[in-house]
Amino acid sequence: MSLRHDLRHGRRIARAEFVRSVRGYVRNKRRLAGLAVALLFFGGNFLFALPTAYVLGLTARSVDAIPYFAPVATAVPVLLVALATLRTLERIGRIDAADLVLTTVHPRAVVVGLVGAEIGRLVLWFGVPVAAFATAFALGLGSPSLLLSAALVALPLVCSVAVWGYALGMATLRLFRRLPSVRRVLKGGGLLAMVAAVVASQFVGQYIVTEGTSVGVFVSALTLAPVVDYVALAFVGTPLARPASISAVVVLAGLLALTPVGLGVATRQASRLWFTDEPTPTRDDARQPKTSSGWLAAPQPFAWRKAGRVAWAFLVRARRHPQELAHLVMVLFFLGPLGTTVAQSSSDALGPLVAAAGAGFGTYLAGATFGLNPLGDDRPQMPVLLLTGTDTRTLVRGRSLAGLAVGVPVAVLVPLASILLGTAPIHAVGFAAVGCLTCLAAALFAVGLGAAYPVYDEREFWGTETVVPSTLVMMGYIVVVGGGTVIGLVVTWYVLAGRLALAPLLLAGLGVYLALTVGVSYGSYRYALRRYRRYTFD
Amino acid sequence: MPSTDLAIEASDLRKTYGSEVALDGVSFSISAGTVYGFLGPNGAGKTTTMRLLTGLSQPTAGTVRVSDTPVDDRRALAAHVGYLPETPPLYDEFSAREQLDYVADLRDVPPDRARERIDDYLDQFGLADDADRRIGSYSKGMRQKTAFVQSVLHDPDVLFLDEPTSGLDPRAARRIREFVTEFADAGTTIFLSTHILPVVEAVADEIGVLFDGQLVAEGTPSEVKARAEMGEHSSLEDAFLAVTSAGTDAVGSESESGEAAEVTAVDDR
Repeated sequence: MSLRHDLRHGRRIARAEFVRSVRGYVRNKRRLAGLAVALLFFGGNFLFALPTAYVLGLTARSVDAIPYFAPVATAVPVLLVALATLRTLERIGRIDAADLVLTTVHPRAVVVGLVGAEIGRLVLWFGVPVAAFATAFALGLGSPSLLLSAALVALPLVCSVAVWGYALGMATLRLFRRLPSVRRVLKGGGLLAMVAAVVASQFVGQYIVTEGTSVGVFVSALTLAPVVDYVALAFVGTPLARPASISAVVVLAGLLALTPVGLGVATRQASRLWFTDEPTPTRDDARQPKTSSGWLAAPQPFAWRKAGRVAWAFLVRARRHPQELAHLVMVLFFLGPLGTTVAQSSSDALGPLVAAAGAGFGTYLAGATFGLNPLGDDRPQMPVLLLTGTDTRTLVRGRSLAGLAVGVPVAVLVPLASILLGTAPIHAVGFAAVGCLTCLAAALFAVGLGAAYPVYDEREFWGTETVVPSTLVMMGYIVVVGGGTVIGLVVTWYVLAGRLALAPLLLAGLGVYLALTVGVSYGSYRYALRRYRRYTFD
Repeated sequence: MPSTDLAIEASDLRKTYGSEVALDGVSFSISAGTVYGFLGPNGAGKTTTMRLLTGLSQPTAGTVRVSDTPVDDRRALAAHVGYLPETPPLYDEFSAREQLDYVADLRDVPPDRARERIDDYLDQFGLADDADRRIGSYSKGMRQKTAFVQSVLHDPDVLFLDEPTSGLDPRAARRIREFVTEFADAGTTIFLSTHILPVVEAVADEIGVLFDGQLVAEGTPSEVKARAEMGEHSSLEDAFLAVTSAGTDAVGSESESGEAAEVTAVDDR
C-alpha cells in the first residue's frame, strides 16, 4: 500500500476516533453538567489570565531576552515526547475493534489515525486556551505575526515528537509484554517518582530564588543550543527575534527528516505488538495467586452484621485487584504543599503536624476508597444486588464501612505514632478521636456525592481497564472534605493547646460547623440510599 | 406441570424512551410451573420486558405482578425471583465458591444449607474442580454456569433466564436445558428468553413472540405454528419467521420462510 493511501486511511481513522470521543463526552448529560461547572471555574480563572498575558507581552517589548528561555526551549520537545509516550501507554497503544481495523487497513494507517485523533483531542481540550493566551501575548508584544511563526515552528516539532513518542510508547509496551515484572516495578517506581516530583515541585521555586546562580549553571549545562535556536524562530519578526542560525535550519531539516523515519519505526513497533501473541505465562505469572480456597468467611468484627460482611467483600476484592483504587493517586497532588509545610516546620510542631496529617489522610481514604462512584462500581452486579432481598441500606452501609476500615486505622495509628516525634499523648489521642469522626463524616458524604454523578464507562487507567470516579467528583470531594477536615483539625489543635477562648461568636461558629458537617454528611448518605432504592436500568 | 395459579401477570405494559416506543401494550399471564419461551428478533424489546418483569426498570404504563407481588416492591419480590441476565453479574476477583457464598448470604440463605447447596450445584455443573479459581480466569461457559447457579441458589418461584445457553458448548447447554426442565417439574416457573429456537421447542410449554414492541403470537408451540399457518412438519423457526415478517419485504420474507420450510423438509426426509 502506498503512503498516500495510508495517510488517507489514517486521516479517516483519526476523524472517526475523534468523533467517537466527542460523542462519548456529550452523550452523558451529567458529564456535560460537570464540564459546564469545570468550564465556569477554570474559565473564570482563565479570563483573568488573559490580561496578564497581554501585560507580559507589553513587558517583553523592552527586554533583551526572555528569562530561562534556553532551558525551557530545550525542555519543550523532551516534555512533548514524554507526553506522547505516556498517552501511548495509557490510551492509544491499541485501537478499539482491532480485529476489524487491522484486517482492513495497513498498521501505518492505524498509527497515523491514533496519533492524529489524540492530537485532535488535545487541541479540543487545550487548543482554545493556548491560542487565546498566545494571542493576548502576541497583541501585547505588538507582533500578531507571532501566532503564524509560532504555528509554523510548532508543526514540524509536534509531528516529529508525536511519532517518536508513539514509537517509544509502543516499544515500552512490547518490553512490558516480554517482561511483566518490569511493568510491575515501573508501576511502583512510577508512583514513587510521582510523589517525589510533586513534593519536589514545591521546593523548586524557592530553590531557584535562593540558589539562582548555581541553578543557572546547572540548566545551562542541560541546554541544547541548536534546539533553542530553532524554537527562537517562533519570534522572527518580533522585538524578541534573535539572529537566525544555521543550526536552527539544521534542526528544522532534522525534524522534517525524522518524522517519516519515526512513523516507520512506530509502525514497525506497533505491528510487532499487535500481530504477535502474548508470551506463555512465566514463572513470575505462575506465582500470582489465581485461586482462593474456602468460603468467603469474614473475620470479626466484620462477620457480626451483614453490612460488615458486605464491607469485607469490598476489601477482599480491593486487595486482589488494587488497580481499582488507582483513582486515589489524585491526592498526591495535594501532598506537595503538605510536604513543604512538614519539612519547614520546627521540631516542636512536627509531631502535631504529622498527627493532623494522618487524621486528614485517613479521612480522605475513608470516603475516597470505595465511596465516590458507588452506582458505577455496582452497575454490572445490580441485577443480583437489587434482587437479593438485602436492603439497599445494608449495601450502602457496607460500602461506607469498607472505606472506614481503610481510613480509620490510618487516622488513629498515625497520630498515635506521632508520639514518637514529640506529640503529647493527649494531643495524639485527641487528633485520633477527631480523625475517627471526620472519617465517618467523609464516608457518609462520599457515597451521596458519588451517587449524584455516577460514571459507568470503563477506561484504561494505570494499566487496567477500570471504572474510576469522575474527576469533578474527586475534586469536589477533596475540596469539601479537605476544607472541612482542616477546619476541624485546626480547631482541635487550638483546643488541645488551650489557646481557644470560648467566645459566643466562636461557639456559634463551631455550632454551624458541626451542624453543617453532620447535616451534609447525613443528607448525602440518605441521598445515596434513595438513589440505590430507586435505581433502574432505564 | 403448569398449575392454575398465576406466576406472572403483565397488564398493558408500555415502555417508551423519549419518542421511541420499546414496548406497546404487552399483556400476558403465565401459570405457575410453566416454561415460557419468550422469542423475538433483535431489538424487539425482550430484555426491556425482562427488566420490567424483574422490577429493574419502571414501565411507562401498565402493571406487573410476579407470584402475586407487585414488582416495584423489590424487597418482597426478591425472594420469589431469580434472574440470569445476558451478561452474567459476577465479581472477577472472587472464586466461584466465594461468589456463591456471598450471594447466598445476601439472599439470607442459612450458611450450612447454602454451602451444601453450593457444593451440590458446583458438582452438578462440573465446576467443582475449578471452584477455587478466580472467576476472572473462567471461560464464558464457566461464567454462565456460575451465574446460573447464583440465580437458583434460593429456590425461586420464578426464574428469568436471558439467553442462558448463549456461548455454551453442547454438553453445558444440554445441562442447562435439563435443569430448566427439572426446575419446571418441581414447580418453578421459567421465563426463558433466547434466540436458540430448538431450545425453546424442546422445553417450552408456552411461547410468546415479541415483535416491534408488541406480543404478536402466544400459545403452545403447536398453537403458534398453527396460527402461523405452517405445514404439519414445519418447525418453530418457520412459525417465528412467519409471525415476525410484518414490515419486512414480503417477497423476501416469503422466500426466507420457503427456504426454511424446504430445509426442514429435507431434514425430515
